[in-house]
Amino acid sequence: MKSKKYDGLTIFLFLLPAIILFVGILVAPLISSFVNSFFEYKGFGAKTPVQFDNYRRLFDTNETWFKPSVVHALILAGLSVFVQLPLSLGLALLLGRGIKGERFFLSVNFLPVLISTVVIGQLWLKVFDSNGMVNALLRMVGYLKEGEDNIQWLADNGSGILLYSCFVPMLWQYVGYHMLLMYAGVKSVPTELREAAKIDGATDWQVDWHVVIPSMKQIIKVSVIFAVTGSLKSYDLIRIMAMDLKVKDAAVPSTVLMDFMSLRQEYGVASAVSVMLILLCFFFAITIGAVFKERD
Amino acid sequence: MKKFLAMLLAIVAVLGLSACGKDDGLTMWCIATKSDSNRHSYEAAIADMEKKYPDTKLNWEAIENETYKQKIKAAVAGDNMPDIFFTWSCAFLGDFVEAGKVYCLDEAYKEFADKLPEKMCKNTTYGGKKYGVPLTMNIVGLFANMDILAEVGYTEVPDTYEKLIECCNALVAANKIPFGCAGKETWCVTEYLESIIEKSIGAKALDDIFMGKTTKASWDNADVAKAVDLFQTMIDNKYFDPDGVSLGNDAVKQNFIDGKYAFYMNGTWNCADFSKKGPKNVKVAEFPVIDATKSKLGQLIGGPSDTLAVAKSAKDAANTAKYTFELGQLICKYGYLDGCGLPAWTVDYDASKVNALTQSVAKIVTDSDYMVLFGDTAMPSDEAGKYLDQVAKVYTKQVDGAGFIKALKEGIR
Repeated sequence: MKSKKYDGLTIFLFLLPAIILFVGILVAPLISSFVNSFFEYKGFGAKTPVQFDNYRRLFDTNETWFKPSVVHALILAGLSVFVQLPLSLGLALLLGRGIKGERFFLSVNFLPVLISTVVIGQLWLKVFDSNGMVNALLRMVGYLKEGEDNIQWLADNGSGILLYSCFVPMLWQYVGYHMLLMYAGVKSVPTELREAAKIDGATDWQVDWHVVIPSMKQIIKVSVIFAVTGSLKSYDLIRIMAMDLKVKDAAVPSTVLMDFMSLRQEYGVASAVSVMLILLCFFFAITIGAVFKERD
Repeated sequence: MKKFLAMLLAIVAVLGLSACGKDDGLTMWCIATKSDSNRHSYEAAIADMEKKYPDTKLNWEAIENETYKQKIKAAVAGDNMPDIFFTWSCAFLGDFVEAGKVYCLDEAYKEFADKLPEKMCKNTTYGGKKYGVPLTMNIVGLFANMDILAEVGYTEVPDTYEKLIECCNALVAANKIPFGCAGKETWCVTEYLESIIEKSIGAKALDDIFMGKTTKASWDNADVAKAVDLFQTMIDNKYFDPDGVSLGNDAVKQNFIDGKYAFYMNGTWNCADFSKKGPKNVKVAEFPVIDATKSKLGQLIGGPSDTLAVAKSAKDAANTAKYTFELGQLICKYGYLDGCGLPAWTVDYDASKVNALTQSVAKIVTDSDYMVLFGDTAMPSDEAGKYLDQVAKVYTKQVDGAGFIKALKEGIR
């Protein structure tokens, strides 16, 4: 009995540093954000309790851009899942077949992941600039006529184009990341399974569809969770491409949060946004997990 | 016991080291980073102060504008403020004053009252008490590339609204772009919109709206809606670069320097850059009057905003306050001589070498009789946020004049 108690204490002491870090870095700020979300607070001075008013304001489109920002984040999540991930999967399957120059193509596709987001943002700003490469190309092929105004790919003018202009560099940057995850999955499929299918007369495509993809369901699940939660939390590329925290057409929860915290000094509302963001991420992570579990 | 002693020694050593880091000098935070046009004025002023007060060391740190806003707020929240700090006037400093974190400068001001006019302290006076040392001041100016205007037959900046419109029409007909405005930075749009509103409804009416002197319903002003519609008509008439909505201010400013636009409305802190980098033949004027029954020339947007303040927690606050006044006076002097703004303090030195553009601005200010501070500085930050949201929508025509005043009337609590 004495020994068990001693063991318990030892375990607790060994866990203590991790517990302190976990509570101090993750739990305490979460609790603090949650508490602040019920106050009107400028970051200093007195806190005035406002009950659920900050949450009410989040859903009032005259007050905040939170509702459209969630819609934008979900559009990004949808594009990530239905455009980015299939592209990554396709590349992973292709490279997984052991094509010539496999290592080279793997490195090339993974390269954008290694480049700083700021650099990528600046690069694509030039591409989408009103006098940039995209408009020049459209003029060259005759889509834009002589004297016709340039298409404003980066304008926050209510057209909604900006959101899609922001998605392109996101796609470009992270397609290699998901490809690498999936490539590991493709490579982990036993060669015997592939060979057996081939002996049975399956084509490469049939092998991928019926053997490889079902075997890497767990990796696809992780990729989907990363893509969806990553889209909900997206900030850096949008901040760079939009050049303004007060962006509307490509507003996402994080830009709304920063607008309230940094520009408007409304820490209470910013905290409410952060609480909602965490809840959304949890909700989608659990839902995606459940969907994949059901399919199992 | 040995372990206990070792730990005790370690604690003593750590405490000793942290004590070594402490300095008896003053601390100051500002935004004059190395790339800031005001950097030289700070360096020169601090060098002068160190010569005059060799026993007082000033440990100063310059932080980039947006980061600074966060840092100073966090310092105020955590009672960890520097002795002297840079701030913007009106609502920004007002929040700190309201929180009781700023030292009142009324006593120290007495010594400097003959050099610092009372009216320059208006934006940093709260409840009748002074809390800030103004540095330089700036207004919104209508910069004109005279070479481009000459191409359509103008030798002077149009001084009436009708002439300005005629000039813009002539420019458009000649395939020239009259104005450049950075849609990616909403404050640049306010430089145009506020000037147009002011010259339509009058400075006093606009000031009352910004400062909330009447009720918030003062946004419910049909003349403001008309002014917004007028601004949008100018956009419709192709007076503005259509690419401007996708550009930041640096790009637009560079376009003006490169001769792409005939006019550029922005702060007069640009005088130094335009004098050095071009356009070759540039003039500055105030935006002409739109409705002469309500407004007149001499009503400007701008005023003293850049300010130094002293923390209530400052070491020897009374003397630090006097030190701050002296430092502020010097920063103002060097800033003016560099062409980075107009002096909030009386000029008692040779300023004949100040660039011609800044001197033109000085004349405009001398002839003025009313200055309305920039809306986003004058209004509390939460209200300014909503105001800027609507301004951005005006430029991209997502809202018209009626929608603008309706949203602000309802949105500002």
